[in-house]
Amino acid sequence: MVNSKPCHAALKPSSCVRSKPCRRLYHSYEHERPPPFAPTESRILSAALSHVPTHGFATAALIQGARDAGYLDVSTNLFPTGPFSIVNYHLVTQRLALAKDAPSTNDTANNISENIRTLALRRLHANKPIIHRWQEALALLTTPAHLPTSLRELALLSDEFLFLAGSTDVTSTWYTNRAGLAVIYASAELYMTTDMSKDFVETEEFLTRRLAEGEKVKGLVGGVGAWAGMQAGGLVDGLRSKGIWI
Amino acid sequence: MSTPTFWRTSAHLSRRLIAAKQPYRCLSCSVRLAQELAQEQAKQDAKTTHFGFEHVPESEKESRVGAVFSSVASSYDTMNDLMSLYIHRLWKDRFVRSLNPGLHPTTSSLPSSKPTPQTILDIAGGTGDIAFRMLSHASTINNDHTSRVIVSDINPAMLSEGKKRSLETPWAGSERLSWVEANAEKLHMIEDESIDLYTVAFGIRNFTNKQAALSEAFRVLKPGGVFACLEFSKVNNAVLNGAYKRWSFGAIPLIGQLVAGDRESYQYLVESIEKFPSQREFAGMIERAGFMLPEPPWEDLMGGIAAIHKGVKPV
Ligand SMILES: C[S@@+](CC[C@H](N)C(=O)[O-])C[C@H]1O[C@@H](n2cnc3c(N)ncnc32)[C@H](O)[C@@H]1O
Repeated sequence: MVNSKPCHAALKPSSCVRSKPCRRLYHSYEHERPPPFAPTESRILSAALSHVPTHGFATAALIQGARDAGYLDVSTNLFPTGPFSIVNYHLVTQRLALAKDAPSTNDTANNISENIRTLALRRLHANKPIIHRWQEALALLTTPAHLPTSLRELALLSDEFLFLAGSTDVTSTWYTNRAGLAVIYASAELYMTTDMSKDFVETEEFLTRRLAEGEKVKGLVGGVGAWAGMQAGGLVDGLRSKGIWI
Repeated sequence: MSTPTFWRTSAHLSRRLIAAKQPYRCLSCSVRLAQELAQEQAKQDAKTTHFGFEHVPESEKESRVGAVFSSVASSYDTMNDLMSLYIHRLWKDRFVRSLNPGLHPTTSSLPSSKPTPQTILDIAGGTGDIAFRMLSHASTINNDHTSRVIVSDINPAMLSEGKKRSLETPWAGSERLSWVEANAEKLHMIEDESIDLYTVAFGIRNFTNKQAALSEAFRVLKPGGVFACLEFSKVNNAVLNGAYKRWSFGAIPLIGQLVAGDRESYQYLVESIEKFPSQREFAGMIERAGFMLPEPPWEDLMGGIAAIHKGVKPV
């Protein structure tokens, strides 16, 4: 989407310490990232997002956002992907927001699993205000035209979890597999759309359980199968075609 | 999505030529010849511009383009159908649908902001093709019965063809549809910041000074207003491009001769397409005029045979 360039552009050269192989080329440090959206786009899309609870991820929300920002109905032509641009805006801004109060990397070495859990949970909770509309977002995310963008964003989110959790040095454990984490997160996100429990405790339990049984691939297949099946969006095929194990 | 067909009157159009043909030649222009001419012209001081592959003084292009469209006005629709194998209709439908003209139904009832009806300016709108689609979309898709379209064209023959055709639409004589004879480079009769949506379909390649027309578009648009252009463009696949070139340079002027008895005018149309800037160059020109570009800045239709460009005027 708009200006959400892959992070390589902002890669901090000094993060590649010579003695260590630079494993996370895809990651960059927050203060060096270019703003992901141009100012006008940010203004319209953030305003649009505030109308999602009432209008859904729909053209009406986009138009209301444009009006709030002082633009015209017709100005929404700035967004060729229509309502999907609101979904993308939410995903990108919430991913970047994770870095704000991430665990400090010094004392994380032994606690990576717990850090990942915390980060994933925090990200899930960022969906609270729009959770009753999230299935609309999933429908847009899994349409063939948007699937490449969706999968890339999911992979970036996974990288972000791993990086912020301080897992840079861990190479052998299962969760360094970004795809595995992506799949767990995506299924938790789907689980949350039907979770009626107080403060989404069931989603939290679901997430905790999935992370704990991370190595048991069978469990993952179930989760993703349910997710993709429900959305009929072919996520599994999409991931497979990207060479991701499931 | 189907488009109402009531204005599709091409079959009934008389083949009468509205204006006498001007004595000009643009033909015989092999590329080589045009290039030689170009170099020669570059040496001279006089400002010249393209007329198809010919170079003509800027002052002359307008009248020569005028002659072309005067001579094709009445057979224009039939020709478009034959030349593009009816595809131009699909492109126009796509163009209008993607612009989504009219005030959106679910939001126009909201108290938060009371939007005023849109004013749409269709430049080089000649036969009304785009205008009728705009009004139809606004009315039937968005249930907006107040937004209006001003059709503008430099050529009175094209405008009267459009007016004639409007008689078969629900908007004949309504205040939602009006007609203005104007050169797109000098729209002094249109006020600053008065237009919501400026469209130009298959017109801008005929303009003498395209950048001047873009600046005028910027001036007349309201902040937040949209510039949108549908135009023949550059095919980005070599195989398709070869086939397309053979078709356009070989068959189109021939069809022009058979249907309209006017090979030269259609030869000009084909050459003007060839001369038009690439998608990227044209997007740059839109940006230079002051517009914000969407991402991606254009949409290719059929591999780039045509493209839709848009720009939004910043608030
Ligand atoms: C190929 S027709 C397109 C008509 C219509 N928009 C359509 O899509 O079918 C090009 C039109 O551009 C008009 N035109 C050429 N030069 C112009 C100029 N400088 N200003 C305004 N209109 C111009 C011609 O008179 C003609 O009607």
